[in-house]
Amino acid sequence: MDEIVTGVEHYLTENVPVKLISQGAEALVFETSVHPYNPNKTDETYIIKYRPQKAYRHPQIDKTLTKHRTLGESRCLAKLATMSGINAPQLIACDPYNGYIWQSKIGGLLPNGEFSNLKNYLWFNKNDPYSTINVENVLISVGKQIGILHCNQYVHGDLTSSNIVLEKSGLNNWIPFLIDFGLSSYSTLVEDKGVDLYVLERAILSTHSSFAENYNKWLLKGYESAYNEFYGAKSSELVQVLKKFEEVRLRGRKRSMIG
Amino acid sequence: MYSCFTHLIPTNRTATQSSTNKTKYHKLSMVNINGIKPKNGSYYLCLGLEGSANKLGVGIIKQSYNPDFPEKEFTDTEILSNIRNTYISPPGEGFMPRDTARHHRNWIVRLIRESLDECGLKDLSAVDCICFTRGPGMGAPLYSVVVVARALSLLYQVPLVGVNHCIGHIEMGREITHAANPVVLYVSGGNTQVIAYSENRYRIFGETLDIAIGNCLDRFARTLKISNYPSPGYNIEQLAKKSDRSKELVELPYTVKGMDLSMSGILAFVDRLAKDLFKGPKSGNKKLFSKSGEPLVTVEDLCYSLQEHLFSMLVEITERAMAHVGSSQVLIVGGVGCNVRLQEMMGLMCRDRKGMCYSTDERFCIDNGVMIAQAGLLQYRMGDVVQDFKDTVVTQKFRTDEVYVSWRD
Repeated sequence: MDEIVTGVEHYLTENVPVKLISQGAEALVFETSVHPYNPNKTDETYIIKYRPQKAYRHPQIDKTLTKHRTLGESRCLAKLATMSGINAPQLIACDPYNGYIWQSKIGGLLPNGEFSNLKNYLWFNKNDPYSTINVENVLISVGKQIGILHCNQYVHGDLTSSNIVLEKSGLNNWIPFLIDFGLSSYSTLVEDKGVDLYVLERAILSTHSSFAENYNKWLLKGYESAYNEFYGAKSSELVQVLKKFEEVRLRGRKRSMIG
Repeated sequence: MYSCFTHLIPTNRTATQSSTNKTKYHKLSMVNINGIKPKNGSYYLCLGLEGSANKLGVGIIKQSYNPDFPEKEFTDTEILSNIRNTYISPPGEGFMPRDTARHHRNWIVRLIRESLDECGLKDLSAVDCICFTRGPGMGAPLYSVVVVARALSLLYQVPLVGVNHCIGHIEMGREITHAANPVVLYVSGGNTQVIAYSENRYRIFGETLDIAIGNCLDRFARTLKISNYPSPGYNIEQLAKKSDRSKELVELPYTVKGMDLSMSGILAFVDRLAKDLFKGPKSGNKKLFSKSGEPLVTVEDLCYSLQEHLFSMLVEITERAMAHVGSSQVLIVGGVGCNVRLQEMMGLMCRDRKGMCYSTDERFCIDNGVMIAQAGLLQYRMGDVVQDFKDTVVTQKFRTDEVYVSWRD
C-alpha cells in the first residue's frame, strides 16, 4: 500500500502534491489542486485515479486489463462530455499505459460527514421517514441518468450504489453523477443493457435490502422516463430492454445451485 | 407420514431471544445460543448428513453448553468424526443424478455406522439432533439422504434440522478460521457467490450469471478426458503447475460484470482451443501450431491460463465487494476453495488492502457432513427444528439469502 503511494508520488513528481482519499476495488483515488496543463487554474481540486499493478494477477492479464480499462474509461468520459443530459466527471488527462486518469472532482459530504455517494445517502436516510420524497426524487433522477446513458448506446458495466455520486444543489436536492466507467463500453445490444439493469438491481437488493423494492421501482421509473423523452412514449426500444431485463433476471433465478 | 416427536422440542424461539441480554456484555452484543438444554446436560452432540452432489458426507460434532458464558463468539466445536465418500465417474463423464443417488443409498448406512464407531457411540439415541441438507443440490441425491435422516429420526426419536448447504459452508469456515465478519467467497461445483452478512441474512453481493466455477473446470476436464479422481479441479491444478511459465499466457476472455461474472463464454472458448489442439495441425486452428506442425501450446498451458483468468476474476469481484461493504476480511469456502493458487492470489490481494484472507483445507472446503452438523446445531440451539415431516421435503433451489440467520446479530 505505502509503496504504491510512494510510487505515485514519484511518478507525479513533487510539483503535484497528492492526498489519498479512498481505496476503491481496483483504483486508488487521489486529490490534488494542480491542473496538469493549465497553470492559471489553481482554485479547483481534481481527482487522480490510479490503477495500480495487481500482484495477484498474471502480469500479462494485468497489463492488458489496466490499459484497456483506463483507455476505455477515458474514451467514455470524453464521449459522455459531448452528450447532453449526462452528468459525469470531466476528463482532463490520461496515461493508459501507466493507469492514470486526471478528472474533475465531484461530490461532497453528507450532513453526517460521510462522502456523498448514493450508498451513504441511502443509508443516511434509512431511518428518516420524512426523507422519502427526497429519496424518491434522487432515485428517479439516478434512473434517468442510466436511461440517458443507455439511449446513447453506452452501458456502464458496474452499476452499484457506490458508483453514483451526489452533488448538492439547493437545500435538500442532490444531483446524481455517474462515475467509474472502467467496465463501460459502447454497445447497441439489448442484452448488455439488460445485464446492466440486473447488476444494479442486485446491488440495491443486497446493499439496501430493507427498502430495495421501492428503490428499484423508483430507479426504473426514472429509467423509463428517460426513454420516453428520447424515443417518445411507448417506444419499442424500451419494451425490448425491459423484456431482456426480465429475461436476465429469470436466468438468474433459474440457476441451479449444486455443490 | 408425519412426525410424532413435536412434543420433544420446546418451541420457545421468542423465549430464547428475549433471554438475550444485549446490554450486559460490552464486548459484542451477541445472541444467546444456550436457550435449549442439551440432552445430557453438559454438551450437544449432532449428526450431519450431506449428499447434495457427488460427495456423501457424515459428520458428528460436539459443542459445549455454556449457559453462564453466552458472550462467546464461536462455538468451540469439537469434530468427533468426519467421513466422506465420493462418487467418481469415468473420465470424460459427469456424475448423473440417478447414479449418484444410487451411490449414496449404497454407502450411507455404512458411513453412519463407521462414524458412530469412531466416536464410540452405540446408537443415535444420545444425539441431540440429526441435520440433513435441504438444498440446494441435485434432487435425487438429496432425496436419498433425507429418507435416511427421517428413518433415523423416527427410530431414535431425535429431532431433525434441515440445513441450507451454503450456510453450512459459511458457518464451518467461520468456526474453523474464527473470521468474525468476513466477505465470503463461496466457490464450488454448483455455486459461485460473494456473500456478506447484514441484518440476519447472508446477502449475495456478486454471483455468476451463468455456470459455476467448479462446473466450468469440471467440464473443461471432461473435454481433456482428465481423470475425475480425486476431483477434476485438483487434476487441473496439478497440470497447471507443470506449465512452462516463460511462455506467453494463452489469452482468454475476461468477463467481469460489476460484482457479477460470467464463465460460459470462457469455457466455450477454451474448449474449442483444446479440441483444435487434439485435431492436429491439419484441420485444427492453425495459430496453435508452428509452421512445422509442432503444437505451440500444451494442455498444461491451457489449464494454467484457464486457472489464471478465472481466479483473477474471482479475486476481482471479491475485492469489489470488499470495497463496497467496507470489509477487510475474506473467507474462501467451497470445493474450489482448496485450490492453493486461488488462496495465494486472494492472500496477495488482501495484503495490498491490509486485510486478512482465511481459508480451510480439503477436509472442510469440500462438501462434508460436519458443516451440515455445525450449521444445523446452531439452528437447533436457536429452536429452529423441523416440526412436521412435510418440512423435510428437499429442494433443488434454495438461495443463501432465504435463510433467517437467528444466531448472529
